Amino acid sequence: MRHVRGFDVVRPLSIGMLIFMMLPLVFLPLASIFIFGTRTGLDKFWAALMAPEAIFALKLSLATSFWATVFNVIFGLFAAYVLSRYNFWGRNALIVTISLPTAIPTAVAGFALLLLWGPYGTLGRLLEPHGLQLMFTAGAIILANIFVTFPLAFGVIKPVFDTMSRSLEEASATIGATRWQTFWHVTLPSLRGAIVSGALLTFARAVGEFGSTILVSGNLAGKTQTAPLYIFAKFNEGQIEAANAIAIVLALFSFLIFSVLFFARDWLDVD
Amino acid sequence: MAKAKGTLIQKAQESQSIADPPPAAASVVGLSKHFGKTSVLEKISFDVAEGEVLVLLGASGSGKTTILRIIAGLEMPLKGKVILHGKDVTDLPARERGVGVIFQSYALFPKMTVEKNIGYGLRIRKRRRKEIRETVNELLALVQLEEHRKKYPSQLSGGQQQRVAIARTLAYKPEVLLFDEPFGALDTQTRSHLRREIRALLKKVKVPSIFITHDQEEALELGDRVAVLNEGHIEQIGTPFEIYNHPATEYVATFLGAANILEATVKEDVLEVGPAQIQASLDTAKFRPGDCVKIVFRPEDVVLSPGDLLRPGLTRISSALVEEIIFVGAYERIRLRLDLGGEECRRDESPYLLTTETPERQTTKAIIATRPKPEASATRLQAGDRVLVAITSFTVLEPQRDTDVTQK
Repeated sequence: MRHVRGFDVVRPLSIGMLIFMMLPLVFLPLASIFIFGTRTGLDKFWAALMAPEAIFALKLSLATSFWATVFNVIFGLFAAYVLSRYNFWGRNALIVTISLPTAIPTAVAGFALLLLWGPYGTLGRLLEPHGLQLMFTAGAIILANIFVTFPLAFGVIKPVFDTMSRSLEEASATIGATRWQTFWHVTLPSLRGAIVSGALLTFARAVGEFGSTILVSGNLAGKTQTAPLYIFAKFNEGQIEAANAIAIVLALFSFLIFSVLFFARDWLDVD
Repeated sequence: MAKAKGTLIQKAQESQSIADPPPAAASVVGLSKHFGKTSVLEKISFDVAEGEVLVLLGASGSGKTTILRIIAGLEMPLKGKVILHGKDVTDLPARERGVGVIFQSYALFPKMTVEKNIGYGLRIRKRRRKEIRETVNELLALVQLEEHRKKYPSQLSGGQQQRVAIARTLAYKPEVLLFDEPFGALDTQTRSHLRREIRALLKKVKVPSIFITHDQEEALELGDRVAVLNEGHIEQIGTPFEIYNHPATEYVATFLGAANILEATVKEDVLEVGPAQIQASLDTAKFRPGDCVKIVFRPEDVVLSPGDLLRPGLTRISSALVEEIIFVGAYERIRLRLDLGGEECRRDESPYLLTTETPERQTTKAIIATRPKPEASATRLQAGDRVLVAITSFTVLEPQRDTDVTQK
């Protein structure tokens, strides 16, 4: 193929090829959720969405994800501060360990939590006599979410810390600020973008978590059933419409979060 | 006045051990610092008087930044003290010292507007809003950035950012201002412009300042006094006039612009450079007959005469051959070879010492002269001409007596 008179044939061809490849892989599955879910009419869709168990599942997902996000953002901020400001023996090992949950299959993560906190687990055994049971509760879901999304906020915040000029903090110190004032007025504002995107990523990932939650939650409808578990359960029961309604909500939700991440990038990094 | 200041400082250096230091806005006493096993500072001492600008001039790696960071409290010295207005602050953290640091990278807070940046020092000191607003307005006027008050640092030019940085430190009335190569990131034009502005500003606010730079022109222009640093120690400290015209060491002579260096032997009342003799009245306490010394003179001190005649008041050196003439705009630069034969500085010392000298300097008697345009066009020269070389002024460096070797 030639490049003839300013018209590059490769350009439209490669763009077309890209879209064609993505069609069966991404576009069509996404579209089918919406087509299938609304096929029987919007009122059916609405009714399925308003079922008490469905609402509970959505609420539980949002609540558990929220707390996991709060914890992981604060922890990620702290870990990024320590690991980027101080150099010590074992620092790299810590960085690898923090990032490890990315690579661990979520089912393994859930299983590991069961082994530790379950009724016969290493630590769970100690709680049992006091009538405490962590597994198969909302707490267990939060714990699983924390584990699975552990490295996300840290991974976004740490590079920003690394590239932040030390002279900003030094300038603040010579001007007379305490460490806390420096952190609050100088360091934190520069991290705003990283914190927001880290939080959104963590939250989006936690809302969709399935593999670990199904093991630790017990999957009790109306008690410990999160939205993804609800989809799975309803599908198994053959209630496709019920599953589909929640699927649409979750898909729209992730779409929203990624739009914010993508389009608000300039705002988040504004100088 | 400059002279008086110079002698005062010398005295201060000599009397380090005396309990009462002379009143100074800022002084460092016997600073030493090591990074690992390498020593970066050795017994650095100097004073800065009230309202004075002291420039620490040195190549990269000379330790000048480390001195600044130690004064600011961003680095701890191994030994020595930092005294600000009579108070020993060596053990105080940076935030309690009340110094203002102007960084090369400006270090403005990117998420704060110009006025927030300037008011930062007062905000964290919990001053009243009205007071903060008034101070910020005053400083914005002082650095002429009133119309930029709502802008963010990234919307300003380098020179403007640096002015914000200065205003930001002036806001909390620092005891001393420390400038860490503040013009390093600017282009040449902005540099010289801002330099003049800052010089005027410092004269106005009268805050004692320490300025570090590797640019000799900047040092001469900005400093009331200049301290030349080399590998962690001070080579010389004095007024720009003193250090340029009367360098104490060869390093100072060559670091501050071009310098010609000739070796000479001290005789009763003359200096002997090969077969030529130079009239010089030397301090007999410092120079002894037979000493091998170095004569330093600047290219602009050289006077060339095509004939045998010399103006009175000049010091004759010898005849020379014009090797090359280079036109460099404002003046012409001439390379000359002096007719001094191969004779070297005569020494009575051991051959071991002789070998420490670089061999080129022993045999090469090439010097550089510069002539301003009027002189160049009045007496035209070309390569191959023979001229008579004289100098208007020169400095004789004290012989480096390695007492350990020569006395034993």
